Amino acid sequence: MKTLILGMGNPIMTDDGAGIWAARALQDKVNQEEVTVMETGIAGLNLLELLTGFDKAILIDAIQTREGKVGRVYRLKPEAFNDTRHAINPHGIDLSTALELGSRLGVSLPQEIILFAIEAADVDTFSENCTPEVAQAIPMATDMVMQELNGGSHA
Amino acid sequence: MKKITIDPVTRLEGHGKIEIFLNDKGEVENSYFQIPELRGFEKFCEGRLAEDMPQITQRICGVCPEAHHMAAAKTLDDLFHVDPPSPAKKLRELFYSAFYVTDHTTHFYILGGPDFVMGPDAPVAERNILGVVAKVGLELGGAVINTRMKNHHVIHMLGGRPVHPVFGLPGGVSKGINEEERKEVEQIAKDSVEFAQLSLKVFDDIVLKNKAYVDMIVSDAYTHQTYYMGLVDENNKINFYDGKLRVVDPDGKEFAKFSPHEYLEHVAEHVEPWTYIKFPFLKKIGWKGFVDGKDSGVFRVAPLARLNAADGMATPLAQEAYEKMYDTLGGKPVHHTLAMHWARLIELLYAAERMVELSQDPEITSTNFRTIPTATPDEGVGIVEAPRGTLIHHYFTDEKGVIKQANLIVATVNNAAALNMSVKKAAMALIKPGVEITEGLLNRIEMAWRPYDPCFGCATHVLPGGTPLPINVYNSKGKLIKRLA
Repeated sequence: MKTLILGMGNPIMTDDGAGIWAARALQDKVNQEEVTVMETGIAGLNLLELLTGFDKAILIDAIQTREGKVGRVYRLKPEAFNDTRHAINPHGIDLSTALELGSRLGVSLPQEIILFAIEAADVDTFSENCTPEVAQAIPMATDMVMQELNGGSHA
Repeated sequence: MKKITIDPVTRLEGHGKIEIFLNDKGEVENSYFQIPELRGFEKFCEGRLAEDMPQITQRICGVCPEAHHMAAAKTLDDLFHVDPPSPAKKLRELFYSAFYVTDHTTHFYILGGPDFVMGPDAPVAERNILGVVAKVGLELGGAVINTRMKNHHVIHMLGGRPVHPVFGLPGGVSKGINEEERKEVEQIAKDSVEFAQLSLKVFDDIVLKNKAYVDMIVSDAYTHQTYYMGLVDENNKINFYDGKLRVVDPDGKEFAKFSPHEYLEHVAEHVEPWTYIKFPFLKKIGWKGFVDGKDSGVFRVAPLARLNAADGMATPLAQEAYEKMYDTLGGKPVHHTLAMHWARLIELLYAAERMVELSQDPEITSTNFRTIPTATPDEGVGIVEAPRGTLIHHYFTDEKGVIKQANLIVATVNNAAALNMSVKKAAMALIKPGVEITEGLLNRIEMAWRPYDPCFGCATHVLPGGTPLPINVYNSKGKLIKRLA
């Protein structure tokens, strides 16, 4: 099964880089021919392009939820974001719109997409270091991704 | 109306926003377009090696890493006093043209197009790419995705990575292309020319053949008589990658033309109490406030500004399209903000045609793509045209090439004054006493900023994705009466 592990975010914006750091850590851990580890700082349609051709995708990104506990790692399905669709996003489209567009256009998208989201504290300060709680959460996220990869679905 | 003082700290929380204040009669008293500033970025760069700047600066924008990468690489050439060999410049421009094809395509079909294809008053749930695809057909939708994918393949091939390129180095680029790759790029370029022509036809059919849209484009609510700035080549034709900055006045006459190093003689920055953003203006005219006209130093950048600031396009099909636009809209310069969508498509065609030319250039497969710098670094300026306008990088280093100071003027900041003026003018024309403030009305105000394709900040990838730009409308008591987010 062709699997993509995609770290998303910005490694110079404190906790926004959590997904990138997790992907870089996984780069050293994952040693399976069918698994590709990548990182990206661009969402929306670019994401659609990066996902094309894979059977399964595991995305890792920072998240900010209302009253969320910093450092918590969530395992989510893309459907969790269906209500975020809006037209006024100044730069592109969100994940669920991108996926729906892809499916309408017959793009070969992964049958399964899993998101590991790390609750962030600070995504507005220029720094290559995450806040301590988020830094501690990264090994937890990578463990969860490895478990996911090795068939241990905890849905 | 009571004077409202806005505290920049609280105002800058989160992302960009538009705030509109009404007076007692229900008319627009004032409006503010907030652009989050890259606070602390310059500091973040200090003490780093200059060679890292093409990697670092491309991270500040989730939209156009390629533009920052290219501006930084050019700044390094200047900083290290090295002139890249001709094939290196061509490879960079080829890469940059492929990037333009992807970026302009995205803007038209995803961001700008839905307002016209679905109509300005269509519900938000339909006024998006999914609505567009449902209306114009899967075939065109597929072509949009396909064009982007193929050009991203070119960016990956040249840039060395699918997203953040590792390509531009002081004195050239890190790799070239072989004959097989060249052929592949040539085919993609030709397909992109066809796609750009198709896109101009779509614009013609959907926008230009609809009188209501044309009336809207030329209406006063979306018009500002300003100066325009853009890079031009030695023949005063548009160039995205290199050249001199040319400024034309509101009558279309050349006002200034200068090399990157001279930009500080021409551009100064105005400070307002309500934002950290500094508003660039033409130094020799001076800051006269958020007003247009020949006596105001406000200038604009981005596609329409580039077309206005140049004498034409350097490729034949784009030149034809350029002439058609000016013939249709009453000659040069065109001051109608909404015409930027048209200008963008003309540039899309130019970028694709330029890709074809470069892919057929005998030098493009040369292995002479790097001159190793030997001089001591000190100061460098690099300017490119980002898809959304003129982008300036300026670094100072010590003799070891460690950054002492970095200054970046990004396209959206160059347009900051104009963005505020455009939103205010549209708001004043549309919000009237007794007129209900509907979602459609607020979208028509948004249509005043959308053509500029402004870029907001950096942490754009926090799930669930995307950066919304809310509009808040307040009554004379300061109470929020309408919000669109």
